[in-house]
Amino acid sequence: MFDMFIEVLMAGLGSAGFAYLFNVHGKKIAWTGIGGALSWLVYLIVMQMSGDLFVALFAATLSIVVASEILARVIKIPVIMMLVPMLIPLVPGGTLFYSMQALISGKNLQFIGYVQSLALQAAAIAVGMIVGTAIMGNFFTFYYRAKAQKISQKITEQS
Amino acid sequence: MDQNKSSTKEYRQIISCILDVGELLLKNGAEVMRVEDTITRLCDAYGFSSSDVLTITSSILLTAVAPDGDIITQTRRIKSRSTDLSLVGRVNALSREIAANPMPSDKFTNMLQEAQNDKVYSRRTIFITYGFVSAIFAVFFGGDFVDGIAAFISGLILYIVQQLGGKLRMNSTLLNTLCSAITAFVIVVLLHIGIGHHSDKIMIGNIMLLIPGLALTTSLRDLINGDTISGLLGLFEAVIKAIAIAIGSALVLQGLGV
Repeated sequence: MFDMFIEVLMAGLGSAGFAYLFNVHGKKIAWTGIGGALSWLVYLIVMQMSGDLFVALFAATLSIVVASEILARVIKIPVIMMLVPMLIPLVPGGTLFYSMQALISGKNLQFIGYVQSLALQAAAIAVGMIVGTAIMGNFFTFYYRAKAQKISQKITEQS
Repeated sequence: MDQNKSSTKEYRQIISCILDVGELLLKNGAEVMRVEDTITRLCDAYGFSSSDVLTITSSILLTAVAPDGDIITQTRRIKSRSTDLSLVGRVNALSREIAANPMPSDKFTNMLQEAQNDKVYSRRTIFITYGFVSAIFAVFFGGDFVDGIAAFISGLILYIVQQLGGKLRMNSTLLNTLCSAITAFVIVVLLHIGIGHHSDKIMIGNIMLLIPGLALTTSLRDLINGDTISGLLGLFEAVIKAIAIAIGSALVLQGLGV
């Protein structure tokens, strides 16, 4: 339990740290930190429930895509400004390193295992991003359309 | 006749400005789709009757038909990229503003210049951040507190090596190898004097700063999205970078028998 708490905390701090490196300023850094922590929390919970790496990463990515799309519209900034730093803890840097190490030291079987896992992880994140963006895009189209209808109704009532 | 010529020149200038916007976005971390959308939106705003844009990670190609019938084609080659999300935000806001009310090319150029005058963090802040990010990810990937301290120190050294290499205009693949090799060497020394327990965790903490995990993921997204060329380019760049980094660290770690 304590380990998980530390992991979530570090994911948040890591995202915030990368926000600095990507030249994000002000309160947005705090938001990216919260998003990074959220992503890892979702990952851990779904991992406990399903036990599947692909599903867990997919759910985690989906959660931060939704969070960053909403945040970006609330504070009026491009989505990637939130999304890119938030994604960092999910990115399979560790697996990439281990796979390359296995390749160079000639451990072919290990290398294949790592590459398989790497492809799976990267695909889970990519699919999560695409699905999330599509869902949110449709959601906001409907939302704004409904809003516009309400306003036009009001105007016709007034006149 | 004279006026016709000057308007043609103006349209060429505008296309050049629009490509500047695209270049700034692409150079600083925006995705291919956003760049193409922005360029198309700007061309529409200026009344170009048709605009065809092809963007891949390393170049932008734009052909547009000006309102006076002139067909203009311009290309940009993007050589180096970095991530500055603040700048992407400002250029994006500027492009929306200009799409809402188009302005002459000289004013456009001035506004782009202004947008580039960026608030950037001082080198000292980035230097310290390198240390902290290394330490955070060393702990995140399962290292203990002492590993974090070791990663902090080697992260600071990584930043110094990277800056020096940049000043020497070193080949970037070679620089990545060198960075990871020196970091690995520092870690071996630190382990030897008793700071840190797991060399791999410390190494991953440092390497998170170099390794193209994000590039790998976004290139896969491009591939699935249908931007096949950009996706393949990104994927290959990421793989080559990863191999370069791994060679550096593996040579040192195995050479010294850790």
